[in-house]
Amino acid sequence: MPESRVELRGVRREFRGGAGVHGVDLAIAPGEIHALVGLNGAGKTTLMRLMLGMLRPDAGEVRIDGTRIDDLAPAAWARVGQLVEQPLAYGELDVRDNLRLAARLHGASRAEASAVADAAIEELDLTRYARVRAHRLSLGNRQRVGLAAALQSGPALLVLDEPTNALDPAGVILLREAVVRRARSGAGVLVSSHHLDEVARVADRISVINEGRLIGILDPGTIDLERAFFALVRADDEAQSAA
Amino acid sequence: MNAIGIAVAVEARKAVASRVVPWTTGILGVGLAALTGALLAAAAVGDERVLARLGPLAEADGWALLVGTAAQILAAGGFGACGILIAWLYGREFADGTVAGLFALPVRRSSIALGKLAVYLAWAATMAVGLTVLLTVLGAAAGLPATDPDGATQLLRIPVLTILTAFLAVPAGWVASLARSVLAGIATTIILLVAAQVCAVLGVGSWIPLVAPALWAIDPGAVPWPALASVLVVPAVFGGATALTWARMQLDR
Repeated sequence: MPESRVELRGVRREFRGGAGVHGVDLAIAPGEIHALVGLNGAGKTTLMRLMLGMLRPDAGEVRIDGTRIDDLAPAAWARVGQLVEQPLAYGELDVRDNLRLAARLHGASRAEASAVADAAIEELDLTRYARVRAHRLSLGNRQRVGLAAALQSGPALLVLDEPTNALDPAGVILLREAVVRRARSGAGVLVSSHHLDEVARVADRISVINEGRLIGILDPGTIDLERAFFALVRADDEAQSAA
Repeated sequence: MNAIGIAVAVEARKAVASRVVPWTTGILGVGLAALTGALLAAAAVGDERVLARLGPLAEADGWALLVGTAAQILAAGGFGACGILIAWLYGREFADGTVAGLFALPVRRSSIALGKLAVYLAWAATMAVGLTVLLTVLGAAAGLPATDPDGATQLLRIPVLTILTAFLAVPAGWVASLARSVLAGIATTIILLVAAQVCAVLGVGSWIPLVAPALWAIDPGAVPWPALASVLVVPAVFGGATALTWARMQLDR
């Protein structure tokens, strides 16, 4: 088993105006659930996009299972699940067809895709919506479809950006259990969230990102996590202002 | 199944389930039949304005008149329909916000782009057959001789024109991908359509791929075969450019 499911070394990507990520080092081990927390615009989504090849870094490198993503064989992406931004759910297709297509794009055969989709429907409690077209689903159920698509192909690396968005409490619990199951089977998981209480329940480590830099680690067992988070961010902001 | 095969299967499923494909197909078919029928009926009763618009075609009769009239409509209307469809096929991923889900997959984005092109060309081939059958029925209903060998030859221009027109609209898919917008692809279609009309009016069309198929369909003798074959360059170049655009795409805007 590789040391890290994903590793970022000195990754930098800057946009006009100075936003972006600036020299980030991060590694997620097999079986680890790693949470990324930060204020809006801190660079969480940019970091995840870099990890998944949605953006190319200006400097540094990203490795998945030890291989630079530029050199990664197409088949290796079959074991990466992701939900960054909007779910992969086409309005004209029903839930089952959406998940079947997502499975096929992950390399499943026609027959495998049906079985994979059915298992995901059950895991995310979407059975009663299996034949409902995605454009008729509530926001929360569309999010469940996107999560099912990310989770269903047995990912070794799972990257979820604000996965609890629009989910009801039952959905949050289902997601939490599914993520823990994937980690127990050896997946490295990166989850971004604004909800500190939520990530504290599942994360093994919590990284804090501010202004595109990782500024510290929080212990998920910390009693007042919110206070600790804001203390880190405030200290970083003051250090940056003083510099 | 290889990556291209999967991409074609996925894109075909999306296209079949969509509303855009059947509506475009229906509007093109019904519109072509209705306009061709109306123009021929007007010409038959000697409507001066229609006869003037038909130009040299007005002197033709039988299948030649029907096919020539339909070809004029198809060259413009069919191009519009093709441009809208291919712009939607590519641009919808941005409009629907599904493009991020097409990253980090074993099926490369260039394969997905080529899968979309394959589905589009398959639709064009289906339309080529369907429109030919439609015009055959229209001609038969109008009392044109069913056993006229010249009629069959005339009708063969319809599938060729449909396919070539679809080839010419491929740049709209590339622009929709580049601009990440369905509307940008549709705007490209309109601009190309206007450019083709201007070229036709100026009489500089035979060797311009954008105009050659329409001129050929109306008057086959006016366009040499090599000029018609040059149309193949358009899907090859712009299909390749579209695949490259998708391969190099970043979610940076």
